[in-house]
Amino acid sequence: MTTLEMPALAPEQREVVTVGGRCVLVCNVGGVHYAVENRCTHQETTLHEGRIRHGFIACPLHGVRFDLKTGEPKGDLTRIPLRTFSVTEEDGTLTISDAEC
Amino acid sequence: MAESLKPGTARAPGHTYQEAILKDSSRPPEAFLDHSYEFMGDQDIPYSHYTSKDYAAREMENLWPHVWQMACREEHIAEPGDYQVYDIGHLSAIVTRTESMEIKAYVNACMHRGTALKPPGDNGFCQSFRCPFHGWIYSLDGELVEVPESWDFPHVGAETHSLREILVDTWAGFVFVNFDREAEPLDEFLGVLPEHFKDFDIGNRYIETHVCKRLPVNWKAAEEAFMEAYHVKETHAGGRDFSEPVTTYDVYPLNVSRFIHTVGSVNPRMPVPPTEQELLSAMWGRRGANDQACPTVPEGVTARDVYAEVVKKSLGEQYGQDFSHYSTAQTLDSIEYFLFPNFFIFPGLSLPMAYRFRPDPDDPDYSYFDLYFLRPSQPGVTPPPPPEPIMLDVKDSYTLAEGLGFLGAVYDQDTDNMAAQTRGFKTCAKGGQTLGNYQEVRIRHLHSRVQDYVGEEQ
Repeated sequence: MTTLEMPALAPEQREVVTVGGRCVLVCNVGGVHYAVENRCTHQETTLHEGRIRHGFIACPLHGVRFDLKTGEPKGDLTRIPLRTFSVTEEDGTLTISDAEC
Repeated sequence: MAESLKPGTARAPGHTYQEAILKDSSRPPEAFLDHSYEFMGDQDIPYSHYTSKDYAAREMENLWPHVWQMACREEHIAEPGDYQVYDIGHLSAIVTRTESMEIKAYVNACMHRGTALKPPGDNGFCQSFRCPFHGWIYSLDGELVEVPESWDFPHVGAETHSLREILVDTWAGFVFVNFDREAEPLDEFLGVLPEHFKDFDIGNRYIETHVCKRLPVNWKAAEEAFMEAYHVKETHAGGRDFSEPVTTYDVYPLNVSRFIHTVGSVNPRMPVPPTEQELLSAMWGRRGANDQACPTVPEGVTARDVYAEVVKKSLGEQYGQDFSHYSTAQTLDSIEYFLFPNFFIFPGLSLPMAYRFRPDPDDPDYSYFDLYFLRPSQPGVTPPPPPEPIMLDVKDSYTLAEGLGFLGAVYDQDTDNMAAQTRGFKTCAKGGQTLGNYQEVRIRHLHSRVQDYVGEEQ
């Protein structure tokens, strides 16, 4: 298991980090932090420029939406969920972990 | 059996719907007092119109590409780049909001090799429409803006290969599309609807619940299940005597029909009419959904008026609105309008539904039913975003869908009838459905309009 500590993000901010060799998108959505692998499971583009609304991130390439909490995709373009990472927050510090969550 | 009268002139014994609502203390909208019925014949409707693949194919070719259809609500595409895919048969449209906040709709196919740009039923957000096959890119305005390796396509340009636009227009917060560029304007297609809905602020409602269910029946028979209240006594009231609602059935040119039936009024056929207190107690028990004791009906006041005040107050508090101007009929009654070919809307306060039906493109025995609950938006408060639809398969009960309340079981009862009809259509030796002249006139109107597009069999 690999962990990464980083400062908590301001609301609606996002940041790309590396955890256990994987590119991870961390974002603060409405005060809740999420961390998902920064790679669309449809055609493998990075997700960090995608728009986030209603708890979903839309891939900037073809628009596939992923639930930031579960990683599950919407629609038929891909059936493969995003890998998600656990996020805990304590005293303004986030701990991102690649343990199964 | 019915006594011999000129066909279509017979009515249920006792008062009419219009006479019933004139007893309310508040004056109903003029449209409610209107009665627009005409006898449309009494021939059977052939079962082949439901079961024949040839007939379904002719509907796909001659009907669906030429009629206005509700694709989504405006709030589905609230911001630039939001999009919603609307599929009808094998046709598919992308409805989107451009940077200038204009609503546009395009054929959902890349102009390169025809790849669908978005999956069926998809919705989401994008900055442009990018084909997942070779990466041709179209702006939100539909213009072809990038062709990878364009050196190989000297014969391609924005003038010839931008996305094909589809007619799009809005009414009451709904976005309608029409694949026929020569079609009449939406406003013309809507007929009396804008006038009849002027007392309801439907555009200012939001989607609270959205259920999409696959139904085991042809799309027309699915719609028919909601076009008459004749089935209420047997299907929803176990055949209980005097459970027939007092109903008006109306047909308007060319594409609109409606029924309205009373809630909480006396069935005029009862030999011993209930007291107003008994009527209120019955409504309170069935729909009260609160712990308060049933109020006493004051002398000279009807149960309907008492209950309507309770509903207006309760819903007003729940949705932060003042509904005091709603009449008793607007508040309580089941008010259902139909826009041919596949859209129903209930503008009343208590029953806030909208329905959309679509055929299964490959099997006339199945269809899809989108069921929406629309609630009044609270002034000054941003309504919640449209919910993801709750998907139900043929065997799934509506009671699995959170938000439908007691209506979940009611819709299950309707669906059971649909499956039984599909089986019966194929074994019934008679060859067609027999319809009541008055109570089932909306079904005849539906088929009349379908025939206008599909034409007679060759």
